[in-house]
Amino acid sequence: MKYAYYPGCTLETAAREYDVSARAVFRELGAELVPIPDWNCCGSSPAESVDYLLSIALPARNLALAEQMGLDIVATCSSCYLSLFKVEKHCQRDPSLRPRLAEILGAAGLTYRGTVRVRHMLDVIANDIGPEKVQARMRRSLRGLRVVPYYGCQTVRPFMEYDGPDLPESMDRLLAAMEADVVPYLYKTRCCGSILITSTKDVGIKLVSDLLAETDGADCVVTVCPLCQMNLDAYQAEVSRKLGRRVNIPVLYLTQLMALAFDLPAQEILLQKNIVSPRPVLEKIGWPAGS
Amino acid sequence: MALQSFNLTREMLDHSFAETVAPDKEKLLTCIQCGTCTASCPTAYAMEYTPRQLWRLIQVGLRDEVLRSDTFWLCTTCYSCTIRCPRGIAVTETMATLKRLSVAEGVEKKDRSARFYETFMDVVRDTGRMHETLLMVRWLLRTNPLQALSFAPLGLALLRRGKMPLRPVSIKGVDQIRAMYAKVREMEQKEEILR
Repeated sequence: MKYAYYPGCTLETAAREYDVSARAVFRELGAELVPIPDWNCCGSSPAESVDYLLSIALPARNLALAEQMGLDIVATCSSCYLSLFKVEKHCQRDPSLRPRLAEILGAAGLTYRGTVRVRHMLDVIANDIGPEKVQARMRRSLRGLRVVPYYGCQTVRPFMEYDGPDLPESMDRLLAAMEADVVPYLYKTRCCGSILITSTKDVGIKLVSDLLAETDGADCVVTVCPLCQMNLDAYQAEVSRKLGRRVNIPVLYLTQLMALAFDLPAQEILLQKNIVSPRPVLEKIGWPAGS
Repeated sequence: MALQSFNLTREMLDHSFAETVAPDKEKLLTCIQCGTCTASCPTAYAMEYTPRQLWRLIQVGLRDEVLRSDTFWLCTTCYSCTIRCPRGIAVTETMATLKRLSVAEGVEKKDRSARFYETFMDVVRDTGRMHETLLMVRWLLRTNPLQALSFAPLGLALLRRGKMPLRPVSIKGVDQIRAMYAKVREMEQKEEILR
């Protein structure tokens, strides 16, 4: 198994722990991630809010580079995943788009034939690799750790390529394979507030508060998107004020939790990067060893 | 929300408005006002017009009323409405088109959001990547520098954890990115299409 890896901008900055743990977990599972050389920003949702053609052309440059590698793409960020994935969908829907896209890419000296499949990292771990392999690699059981699986919106919507749109289960299966206690959660795919938390803060905080208010009794939240992780992790002081009670729950990336279950070294988990420290709850699974 | 009435005049109505904003006008015109979009929307509570109300205004052709509203600026592109709409209307995409159109006409209600998106795209043009620190600095300078204070606690938390590198990194192919931006602009001007 070999994939063209598209980390996305955030994984180079605010989500280093996602990048580092994802690479380590893939290596341990025998799947190779080859970074797309000189990849560019996918445009995310701001692109389509500013310029439609750029919202297709920016991700398409990365598809063109992956096509040269002859590999399918794995994206770790849900917004990147959707931006890259939708290029082909839009070209299929609107026949006039493909030649225009070719002209834009041509200005950059690139061509794209449309042969690259775009996958979310969660899809690849859950379906190409599978829970059995994850379980076989486990060195530390997550038994006793009550985990809220939070998928976020663009992880599955709108195209629902590998899981359901409202209550997906691919991450639940992986967590169960590592023997975690998966907490039933109805807000699995409800929006985290995305960039409203910056531009229209009161609404953003309301959305995050709705999500965190339903996590009582859980030890941690697990996500597969850097924007979801940041919104849920970084604003808990504001959320506590809004809810009138203290909310203090660590928000981990799925791959960090997998790295813990695989007993990988601390420098491949980077728990010091999470804003709410996960360390206290990890005592439940005996991490670090000897604690 | 209370029932709102409009004293309609011919000048207020743009009968081709649905065609302008929707990738599939035929579908938008079949909206039955069931309200599934509004019920699915996590930010509808904060909107001037709920999504359901907005579709009706678009069908009627109340162009200015729609473009001046804050509704689409509160869309987080979570696609809950899109997957549930029984008529298959491309709700989320239409919201994005409305953002572009309201900026093109200079009537955007949430100008801070609009400037945020534009600054994001400027940073990508200049470096090939999004860089949170550069984006925030440029955006705050463009909108309200004093607001930087409210972001200080978060900035410090991120800095302490090495999650906020200060220096942006350009990709090698940044000239390709600029060439693509230039080509897109040229095509849009030639075809006279909405960005």
